[in-house]
Amino acid sequence: MTTLPPVQLEYSKLALLTRKRSTCSPAGLTKAQLMKIKDETDKYLELKWKGLTKDEAAGYRNSYKKNICIDMLQHGHHKSFCELFFLFNKWHNLREIGGIRSIYWLQTPLELLPDKLDQLFFFLTKAEDAELAANYEDMYSYIYALASYFNNPDDKWLRNYFYERCFNIAQLIKADGGKKEAESYSLMGLLFEENGQLEAAVENYETFHEMTEGRMWTNADGQTFNFLACENLRRIYALLAEKMLSNKNYKKAIRILLKARERAKEGGDMKMEGEAAYDLGLAYHKAGEFELAKSALNVFSDISIALDDAIGLSRAYEAIAKVLVSQENMLEALAFLEKVVEIAKNTSQKGRMVEACTMLGDIYNGKGFYTKACEFFKQAFDTTTECMNASLVDETKVHYGIAKAHQMMGAVNSYIESADHDSLNHLLTWKENRSSIVPDPIPGY
Amino acid sequence: MTEIYPLAVPKGRKLKCEVCDAPAERMCAACTVTYYCGIAHQRADWVSIHEKICQLLIPLRTTMPFYNSEEERRHGREQLLQRQKHLIELCYKVAQKYLFEGKHEESVPAALHSLRFRTNVYGLNSVQLVPAYLLLSEASIGLGHVVQAEEYLSQAQWTVLKSTDCNNEIQSLMHRNLGLLYTAKEEYEEARYHLANDIYFASCVYGSEDIRTSGGYFLMGNVFIHQNKMDIADSLYTKVTEIWHTYLDQHVQNQLSARKQPADILAKELENDTGLDEAQEAEAVHILETILEIRENTGKEKPASILFILKTVAILHYLMMNISKAHELAVKAYLLSKELPNKEDVTEALRDLLGLIASKDPVTLKAAKFFAGQGQ
Repeated sequence: MTTLPPVQLEYSKLALLTRKRSTCSPAGLTKAQLMKIKDETDKYLELKWKGLTKDEAAGYRNSYKKNICIDMLQHGHHKSFCELFFLFNKWHNLREIGGIRSIYWLQTPLELLPDKLDQLFFFLTKAEDAELAANYEDMYSYIYALASYFNNPDDKWLRNYFYERCFNIAQLIKADGGKKEAESYSLMGLLFEENGQLEAAVENYETFHEMTEGRMWTNADGQTFNFLACENLRRIYALLAEKMLSNKNYKKAIRILLKARERAKEGGDMKMEGEAAYDLGLAYHKAGEFELAKSALNVFSDISIALDDAIGLSRAYEAIAKVLVSQENMLEALAFLEKVVEIAKNTSQKGRMVEACTMLGDIYNGKGFYTKACEFFKQAFDTTTECMNASLVDETKVHYGIAKAHQMMGAVNSYIESADHDSLNHLLTWKENRSSIVPDPIPGY
Repeated sequence: MTEIYPLAVPKGRKLKCEVCDAPAERMCAACTVTYYCGIAHQRADWVSIHEKICQLLIPLRTTMPFYNSEEERRHGREQLLQRQKHLIELCYKVAQKYLFEGKHEESVPAALHSLRFRTNVYGLNSVQLVPAYLLLSEASIGLGHVVQAEEYLSQAQWTVLKSTDCNNEIQSLMHRNLGLLYTAKEEYEEARYHLANDIYFASCVYGSEDIRTSGGYFLMGNVFIHQNKMDIADSLYTKVTEIWHTYLDQHVQNQLSARKQPADILAKELENDTGLDEAQEAEAVHILETILEIRENTGKEKPASILFILKTVAILHYLMMNISKAHELAVKAYLLSKELPNKEDVTEALRDLLGLIASKDPVTLKAAKFFAGQGQ
């Protein structure tokens, strides 16, 4: 989300008074100190203090919240007042509903935060003025500015509330050809996405996309709306497909991912296209369509090469290798995996490195090349010990152990089978000090 | 017997007029404990409140009978207190009723009595005195005695300021009256400040969308009209209308849904009920009819808002069982809604309302059938 440049706030008169109070109050001074500054204080009072007017006195007596509310009402901003009041109550309700574990218990209530109240006061009253003048575009931008101001984890509920307001206001704006309306759809999509309601999010993003097709609208960062729509749709489609894949609903997932690819192509961003192809490839793989999966993944690897994206390339190769393994085309798979290991080593991606090494080890292990398997498992094991991930260390340790055992088994077997004096000696020495490996009598294993 | 002679009264015992505190020359013959300076004040008091409380005053103003035991004495004192509290409420209600009926003069003695008993029971510094001050000030404003009203309100404000435990309800009432006062004095900035306070306190008690808060919005709207800020006043009036419409419409919807259920012969016919007390009803009628008048005079170019207020007033009259008035207004609204585009749902709602009105009144039944026929 974009953050707007800071706004020069106009403080209301009462707000200014209460702000001043906190800076010049003599609280915390001892009596002696007070006596010392008495002359100064008297002089100051003589110069500046010509008695308080009624509302100045009230300004000092009342809380900041009350001053803000009364200031709003006094100038006829009753809608802003109702909204602010509603928000105070909403916060307390959220806290009650959330129960004892709710994060809201850790927060300061809204009414005790002067800065936020100032923002609310400023923008809400401006928005109401704009509404009275039927200038909905300004109203939208004021509310949107508020939403952006509250765009942080603590005030998410406020941001969501103002996004919904934006959406409702945007329905009234007709003059700009639907730009604001389109934008508000994307906001709603975001809300639903964060809420986990993917279907509703898709609906909103699709509307957003429809409205932006063929338009040249851009946001503050210079990205076109259409691009944003495509990007968001792709992401949402991928999420949806992931959910379907976990439900083994492959056909539907693939259909959705095909849509995602289309959007990605339309968006015209290579990276996005690559991601779409990658997701599609994985889905094809899961569905058992190996050739299609390979071609989709090849697209991704081509794009990664074109973009000089080593990490992407390693991901592509790894996925391709997995497909090849599923096709039992071990030779090619080995070639791809070795490439992955190399790239991973150069780009220091430890996770990928471990995974690739383990897969390589597995393949060699299955084929009976225990020495090679051992080598790769050792590599995996060394990498995991570097990154201090206990569960991964344990896993690779087991793999490594199994491969090592396999490697030794042949030698031990042959010693036992030959059953002569030398072999027995070898076995006994090995038993005595387990650490050393039995010398291999039959090279080639 | 009703004449008394001040010089004949025992030394140290001053008899004072019930209304104006001047030396008394007359006495009520019925209770013999109430004195007046002249026949005018006696008559005023009688009309206002004395007729209702004449006999109740006797136990309060005669000495307590002699009781033998401590227990009895305590019981007697408690009973006395109970009686005084009862009188406070009675006088307050009576004064309030007169005020809503616009009989300001009659309400003054009753309000004075309420104030006097409150002082007796709670002492001079208590917040409990504030409602009585407010009544008196409202009556004074009604009579055009602005200075007197200001005096009472200053008393009220001072009492509130001194007390630390004044509840929001009383604060809201006080600021509303101050707002009224300054509106009457044409000091609009000040009036707006106090009305803003009123709305704030009322919102704290009832919520910002309550009918009891709506009075503040309405008065605020009036001030903006005086200051010629029509758009703000308009938005405030819309707000008031919305609040009342939501409240009243819910009653109508309840009746409609009850009517849709299969007819039960044994079921009692639904009573019309606004769920409001007398004072609130009077306030509702006053507020909504004023808005309607203003809308009809000014807002010719905004027929939608006229339609809205017409419908709300029609519902109000229907619920208060002013059937003919309700019918007239509803028909007017119905015809207006047919002229406007995009108001099909309002037309629909008005048709339902007309049906309801007709069901309460055989005279209009025919008209209702006509409208029902048109709807199909």
